[in-house]
Amino acid sequence: MMPMMEVSTLTTIVFWAASAMTIGLAAIVVTQRDVFRAAIALAGSFLGVGILYFVLSAEFVGVVQILVYVGAISVLMAFAVMFIQDIASGSRPAQGRLVGAVVAVLIFAALAFTAYNTEWSSMDDITDSIAIAALTEGFVEVGTGDEIEIFTDAPLGDSDVVIENDGVFVDSTGAIGVMLVRKYMLAFEIIGLLLIAALIGGLLLMRERKSTEEPEPATKNGGASV
Amino acid sequence: MTIESVLLVSGALFAIGAYGAVSRRSLITVIMSLELMFNGVVIAAVGFSRFTPAAELLSGDPLTAEAIRSALTGHVFAIFVTAVAAGEAALAFALVFAMYRATESVEITDASEMKN
Repeated sequence: MMPMMEVSTLTTIVFWAASAMTIGLAAIVVTQRDVFRAAIALAGSFLGVGILYFVLSAEFVGVVQILVYVGAISVLMAFAVMFIQDIASGSRPAQGRLVGAVVAVLIFAALAFTAYNTEWSSMDDITDSIAIAALTEGFVEVGTGDEIEIFTDAPLGDSDVVIENDGVFVDSTGAIGVMLVRKYMLAFEIIGLLLIAALIGGLLLMRERKSTEEPEPATKNGGASV
Repeated sequence: MTIESVLLVSGALFAIGAYGAVSRRSLITVIMSLELMFNGVVIAAVGFSRFTPAAELLSGDPLTAEAIRSALTGHVFAIFVTAVAAGEAALAFALVFAMYRATESVEITDASEMKN
């Protein structure tokens, strides 16, 4: 049997190139004195991570990464740097540099040691041919309710409900959408609540405070003072 | 490209972020380093999703659509982490601005006093 989901040479080259871009720009982010340049390098590093997701056949996560990180968070960082003029000219590194370097090297050593000394299960462990086809080529759901069966091809002359799907690694967007509204419904709703809370909290914190000379309004609705 | 190489890149990004979070002085660069660490973790999640099989697919039970889709649990995890990181970044910058307004400084050593 062919090894499942083979990795081509081109994919490997793109992977290492994107990794080099990500790590190199990340090193600039933590060493560059000019904070604005650090913000630009950070955007590039996020873009490299986005390319890594595409190489790892996670297209939807890659698009989300580019939209949210490269598009929104980097712009937020750039705004913050421009808003606060003091730091744009340079930020001194603290005395804890040596400690930080030692901690970082130890963390990296521990992670790399674990990665190379653990026997990871492999995609080739999957022996079910229908499962392999469902991951890479596609699968068909036949039936309704609790009596759904999985096939690689739709059976002919069957009156049951038939849903055709692409392989989950080919069409990850559709599969993620189904998971978000079925298996992870509650978490999905809670994330929405969390974002609303973050939005309102951010607005409250950013609000222009009234100067102390002005008398406080008599009708306080409470909880709004920061 | 194997799971080991993906974890190596992920660990390197996490370690660089940790170095930045400890050694930088300005609060904004500390937040940038935190975002780098978030990204390192998410790379690991997506890498596991791509290179290691979901337990449901190895159990030998009759195949269900949910078991097949659970191969993408790492992607869903990545999206949730991204959403939390985005909310966290917005709140963190609001806090930095509030501190800047109160103390005219964004240095992390000045943040140790909460008097203002």
